Amino acid sequence: MTLTTASLKTAIDNIHAGIDPIGAEMNDLDGRLGDGDLGVTLVNGFNNLAGIKDDLPADIGMAMLSSAKAITAVSGSSFGTLMATALMACAKATKGREAVDWAEVPDLLQAAQDAMIARGGASLGDKTMLDILDAIIAATRGKEDPGAMLAAAKEAADATLDSFRDKPNKIGRARVYADKSIGMDDPGMMAVKRLLERLG
Amino acid sequence: MKKLINEPNAYVDEVLAGMAMAHPDSYAVGGATGRMLHRPQAVADKVGVVSGGGFGHIPVFAGYVGDGLLDACAVGDVFASPDMNPMLESVQFSNTGKGVLCVVGNYGGDRMNFDMACEMAEMEDIETRKVIVSDDVAAAGPDEAEKRRGVAGFVFVTKVAGAAAAAGMSLDEVTSVAQKACDNVRSVGVALSSCTVPQAGKPTFEIADDEMEIGMGIHGEPGVRRGKLRPVDEVTDEMMDMLVADKPIKSGDRVALLVNGLGATPIEELYLVFRRAKARLDDLGATVSLHLVGNYATSMEMAGASLTILHLDDELETLVKAPASCPFWGA
Repeated sequence: MTLTTASLKTAIDNIHAGIDPIGAEMNDLDGRLGDGDLGVTLVNGFNNLAGIKDDLPADIGMAMLSSAKAITAVSGSSFGTLMATALMACAKATKGREAVDWAEVPDLLQAAQDAMIARGGASLGDKTMLDILDAIIAATRGKEDPGAMLAAAKEAADATLDSFRDKPNKIGRARVYADKSIGMDDPGMMAVKRLLERLG
Repeated sequence: MKKLINEPNAYVDEVLAGMAMAHPDSYAVGGATGRMLHRPQAVADKVGVVSGGGFGHIPVFAGYVGDGLLDACAVGDVFASPDMNPMLESVQFSNTGKGVLCVVGNYGGDRMNFDMACEMAEMEDIETRKVIVSDDVAAAGPDEAEKRRGVAGFVFVTKVAGAAAAAGMSLDEVTSVAQKACDNVRSVGVALSSCTVPQAGKPTFEIADDEMEIGMGIHGEPGVRRGKLRPVDEVTDEMMDMLVADKPIKSGDRVALLVNGLGATPIEELYLVFRRAKARLDDLGATVSLHLVGNYATSMEMAGASLTILHLDDELETLVKAPASCPFWGA
């Protein structure tokens, strides 16, 4: 089994179908710690992706590049920029191919994580979506079946949320509310969990 | 809010439309979302020079599209970075095979979005370079110069980069001389009153009628000192002292001087600032090879002024004085 532009379209469809309640939840969560635009970013981003998905090229790299452009076109927020950054890193690694082995996905996620760290300046341990991604990379490495990978990713997401809940946010606007953030889930981390849940 | 505008949400697009209508030989509006101002035609056989940034600073940034200046410019909302798409469109428009230099003000959003646009351009096999303008000495000390905001120094850096590209230099040469301009330009400003972002509807900050703030940024970022307003010679001296302390000026040095209005200060007052600044430079024994007095980098209807000094060598002097033409370039 391989990851193709068709897999990307299915993922966009599945997330788009349930994005409105996720957006509402994220706006509420982000409103308490950040600038409250995370939900809007997700809703606008996936609405735009749904609009362009039928025009995505078969070259999976170029398809991910088009997806990155679609997200940046509706959102200049940091989360939108980082999502686009992640997609661009994957696009670079897969440009010119129409199918990618699922076993390669952890490497793509690692490239995405490196690019997001370079662009956003956050470090592992800061209580951001990078921490959840790090756990997902570790949990999915060595697996080849997309179903087993998704199950492992969801478990890793839950475990990471649990282990970070009582730590303070160390970067971004939430850092200003570091004490207040103790005991609260990070909105970006929660967004990753919710998106994974929509994948199947 | 007391402004001659229509819908606040339409403000930027309507101003761009007006600029293109008033100057059809200089400007055209383009891009999928209409947020690129570009020359009517790309100029073949030269390195492209582009910029982009938040609106509300006209002529910075988009006003400097013209001969010997920018080829295209991405336009954001008032005081907000454009997203990376118009930046990429600007790079694509300006690339005629020799690559494109992006002149970027040192603001987080602008930098991040230009980084992405350049990465995207690379995937389309367009070669790009960036220079970061960070000239505001009030924003951080010399030890943290990389944290300084980009303000009116953008005008000189753009002038140098545009002239270098027009002279037929390669992408690396244009980048290197633009970087030299960035390294040798210093600015500081003084704000007397606030400004209002149309979509916000109320003033960005409060300042008393008899107060000024030295070192305030062009979006109302805090400066180094707020105090009672003083006579213009004393205010100019304070700003000159900051510039000279940051990069000394010796007898025999050559400089370009920009006395810039922030939007609501009359040109008369800018001539008062110039009068004093020029006298100070004369006292130091410096030669003012080029001077500009006027509104070159504004902050909506903010009252106040800024001083920018570019330290020149032969190459920078030639380029900063080279012919250029756009509706806002009066040199």
